[in-house]
Amino acid sequence: MKNMHGILFAYSSNVRLKELTEHRTASSIPYGGRYRVIDFMLSNMVNAGITDIGVIMRENYQSLLDHLGSGRDWDLARKRGGLRLLPPFAYAGIRRDASTYRGKLEALYAVTSYIAYIRQEYVVLADGDLIVNLPLEEILERHMKAGADITCVCLDCESGQESDAYLRVGAEGRVSEVLLSGLDENTYPCIGVYLLSKSLLEGILADCAAHSFVNFTRDVLQRMQSRLNIAAYIHKGFSTRPQSVADYFKQSMNLLKPDVRNDLFSRSRPVKTKVRDEASTYYAPESRVKRSIVADGCVIKGELEDCVVFRGVTIDAGARLKNCILMQDTHIERDVDLSFAITDKEVRVTRGRALKGHESYPIAISKGSVV
Amino acid sequence: MKKEIIAMLLAGGQGSRLYVLTAHVAKPALPFGGKFRLIDFPLSNCSNSGIDTVGVLTQYQPHELNSYIGSGQPWDLDRLEGGVHILPPYIKGKAGTWYKGSANAIYQNISFIENYNPEYVLVLGGDHIYKMDYAIMLEQHKKTQADCTIPVIEVSVEEASRMGIMNVDENDVIFEFEEKPAKPKSTLASMGIYIFTWEKLKRYLIEDEANPKSKNDFGANIITSMLAGGEKMVAYRFSGYWRDVGTIDSLWEANMDMLSGSDIDLSSPAWRIYARNPIAPPHYVGDNATISHSLVTEGCSVYGGVFNSVLFNDVTVEQGAFVEYSIIMPGAVIERGAIVKYAIIAENAHIQSGAKVGSPPGEFAGPPEDWGVAVIASGVKIGPGKVVGAQEMADADLV
Repeated sequence: MKNMHGILFAYSSNVRLKELTEHRTASSIPYGGRYRVIDFMLSNMVNAGITDIGVIMRENYQSLLDHLGSGRDWDLARKRGGLRLLPPFAYAGIRRDASTYRGKLEALYAVTSYIAYIRQEYVVLADGDLIVNLPLEEILERHMKAGADITCVCLDCESGQESDAYLRVGAEGRVSEVLLSGLDENTYPCIGVYLLSKSLLEGILADCAAHSFVNFTRDVLQRMQSRLNIAAYIHKGFSTRPQSVADYFKQSMNLLKPDVRNDLFSRSRPVKTKVRDEASTYYAPESRVKRSIVADGCVIKGELEDCVVFRGVTIDAGARLKNCILMQDTHIERDVDLSFAITDKEVRVTRGRALKGHESYPIAISKGSVV
Repeated sequence: MKKEIIAMLLAGGQGSRLYVLTAHVAKPALPFGGKFRLIDFPLSNCSNSGIDTVGVLTQYQPHELNSYIGSGQPWDLDRLEGGVHILPPYIKGKAGTWYKGSANAIYQNISFIENYNPEYVLVLGGDHIYKMDYAIMLEQHKKTQADCTIPVIEVSVEEASRMGIMNVDENDVIFEFEEKPAKPKSTLASMGIYIFTWEKLKRYLIEDEANPKSKNDFGANIITSMLAGGEKMVAYRFSGYWRDVGTIDSLWEANMDMLSGSDIDLSSPAWRIYARNPIAPPHYVGDNATISHSLVTEGCSVYGGVFNSVLFNDVTVEQGAFVEYSIIMPGAVIERGAIVKYAIIAENAHIQSGAKVGSPPGEFAGPPEDWGVAVIASGVKIGPGKVVGAQEMADADLV
């Protein structure tokens, strides 16, 4: 039973992500050595047998377009359906001076005609900047079994995850109250993945448009909670949505824990990404590497401890790196000393330089910079 | 649909000198260099040279090879016109036979070639490691108005006696071909690659087929009879890296070459070797791991010692395991305390704790000429504490 359609919201960005979103939207931030953040939700959908996915974007989406291409790397380059990119266009209600949508509902109004052509019975709505490995097929099964109108995916109460909606859950997973803040021990934070039928989605959109509602959590989940059967699906695994540079850093370092890696890179639901045709990574005799994840196409001659290394990175002899994230094609020259630093794509740190950040304030070096 | 040149890739050989490694898989599908299969080299060379039509002649154990090639997309060979085509032997009317030899394989596909009405046909093998711009060779072929152009490489006199040797005049026109000469007259070895002017080749293929005594082999029959027939055969001198990996030792050595900064650069963006990529996360290097002078790729987990070795995707080297001068193919597991030296461990093999596979030449008890790398076939389990010595091959579980 694979009767689902996917819609990803890839328009949001958070000012606290600073340098990381200087050249891109939050959904296309590099993460985990070889991925862009959007790869996770895209793969979740593809792994659940979803063949048609629309990606709603608004601004700064060049890097996202470049990454997604035709969708072939996710097996989404199809004659019927497949990947559909939904950039902003001039429709009646658009606020031309705005750089972003005010909420998911406003984003969905912008693609009303696209939604009308959805050929599946169910629709999954999800944020493109969410990092999680979800069993969407199982979530649909539960949704149907419970006879739910909307299923919200949330984390356990004790996860401490920041969210824009917290759920109080009654018997059999039915949501009894939706809170916009006010975390206590018995509320489950939503991660921004919702499952509902296409017909309900269209009904909600028509209703909300008439009221000029824009916020999905407030105007749909909270306002309609009493008349809809809203179910919660509690995900036990790892999930994050980087909110700031320090948060991104912390969530990247989480990947060095085996249980987080095993959960996120589950063998049964692999994460797909754009292929770069790199050769293997070469470790020179003088290299020393501990507790690090390393992608392909790197040449490593220096020392690494607790690092995340993306594709095509070069680390020259005598360089010492601790707690660093090195994005694609970074070049670290001889005798460089770095800790708690994030180098964006194509950064070069020249010979002998030393930079030290702190866990609470990692240094982020912008794309293409030379230090 | 006219094409100036199309390539025919001979991928049907059994690779019997690779023994257990090719027991269940065609030689061109063998893993090489950490991320590749042997066939990636000719396919990528074609793609990079602007040849967009490739027929792949398969016969022996083709399933893995066929699914690996698929639509040809990883090599940019999924084309509206042309692209990559798998060509197995088939039934014609009431008759139909297996491919009797390399020349017969091309002969049986004359109608495929004629579909493209090419001026030239490039004939390739599936077991050579090299980067070559076939377009430059084609330029020479046209300029010299040759009927056949054969790339040659300079080898030592000792090597020459084990290879097909081309004797050429001052204009590099070939006047004689000798297979494994005891006393080589020249040191120009054939690389087993040919560009033919199609009309000429077609005539010789038809003549060869009509000769019941022929072995229908390219080197032994077609090249020899074209020389005897006075056709213009010209050598094309190639000086880059080239290795035939038809034996266990040469396969092991060529993999080791990939570590030593030899004159083939697998990571150069100017002439990429493309491969079908596995879907796996970046590799993880653990707390007590030591990796030295080695290649490691996606999906690997390294907690032990890896020295002078090539690890393919999804290999696990557990803590306290020791791997040296070895090739570990996809999915293999080297457990805690296992020692692997000078060995080829095939796909999904499992070396359990404390087992010992292979040994260095210096520790070999027998005569030095009998030493060789140890080989563990795909999926084979070597039980705890079991020993597989140098030169030995395990094609069944040893528990």
